[in-house]
Amino acid sequence: MSLFRTLRSIRRVGVREWWHQMQYIGDAKSGTFVGADQFGNRYFENVNQYEEVPGRHRWVDFAQHNYHASQVPPEWHSWLQHIRLNPPPQDPVMLNSSPPWKEPWVENLTGTRGAYKPYNTVPPKITAWEPKTTSRT
Amino acid sequence: MSFARPRVFVGLQPRLLAAPRTTAARSAILAHRLLSTSTRALAQHAQGPATSDSHDGLTSSLSDRSSRTHSSPAPKYDAHGNELNPYRDGPSSIDKAVHLFFFTEILRGMWIVLENFFRPPYTIMYPFEKGPLSPRFRGEHALRRYPSGEERCIACKLCEAICPAQAITIESEARLDGSRKTTKYDIDMTKCIYCGFCQEACPVDAIVETQNQEFSTETREELLYNKEKLLANGDRAEAEIAANLHSDHVYR
Repeated sequence: MSLFRTLRSIRRVGVREWWHQMQYIGDAKSGTFVGADQFGNRYFENVNQYEEVPGRHRWVDFAQHNYHASQVPPEWHSWLQHIRLNPPPQDPVMLNSSPPWKEPWVENLTGTRGAYKPYNTVPPKITAWEPKTTSRT
Repeated sequence: MSFARPRVFVGLQPRLLAAPRTTAARSAILAHRLLSTSTRALAQHAQGPATSDSHDGLTSSLSDRSSRTHSSPAPKYDAHGNELNPYRDGPSSIDKAVHLFFFTEILRGMWIVLENFFRPPYTIMYPFEKGPLSPRFRGEHALRRYPSGEERCIACKLCEAICPAQAITIESEARLDGSRKTTKYDIDMTKCIYCGFCQEACPVDAIVETQNQEFSTETREELLYNKEKLLANGDRAEAEIAANLHSDHVYR
């Protein structure tokens, strides 16, 4: 890591935020706060190429301690992965393409009790033999 | 990026700065030396004699060296019949000995390592930072709905027909209002090769591959998606899917 860059970031974000970053991102980063999603994840950006390497200029600070990449909702995911230029609150296309029946985002719940369990959506074609006997007279 | 860069440039190339006149000839000799020790060059040589003479002056007489028939190159003579020294333009033996005994190549390599210590790191710290992704990226599947909330899939089974891995299984019935809808739309994500043929084949843009790539599961059963799961994927990620299709619609 560059010493000047680290010291500059510490001076900007403060020691407490720097310690938080070192526990999670593992690197001292400083940039402008772009927004937060409904889960409390905070998104930052620094487009100064002399301060952040291009490609590392957008990052997320997860709200949860047990962070996972799927905790980022799709709107912010497309900003974070550089698919869309503007963050979702300032992106007219993203704002217009949210239908009223849109469901809330859930993270990948594998390994928990909320994990998806496959099931058949049609009645089974093969059923067990159920013997039918005529009653004896 | 840091204070070390200009000094690095000076420090890395003292030889080229010291003797600028014979740079081309020297580099040719050095390239020849490097080629003779690299296996890739030997592999290229095995394919044919195309590498023996190149247009940029980096000639490597590998064919002469590797063939056992004549061990030394043929001597060259000038107009008066005197034999020419083939090494007169190359580095002197003292020059080569200095580089050999003082480990200059190793020190140059270690200097590059030290130089990168003072530069900002290039490593993208996933999942906090992510690399760029195309709006055409093919990730987890989803079934979309019309803006009215009606599901798009009309059970034409084109995706099932085109799927090269045969991962899609569709059964359909007519609904009470007469529209044909699927009753079973299963995708075996363990079979899927993410080729994107299903979303290309779909006439109503019902089956799409979203940008979600973080759907790894702990058990294999969780990857056997049914219709409910696919529709739920589409309902959650509809904004991103629609935005991607909007950004790509001018090319389609």
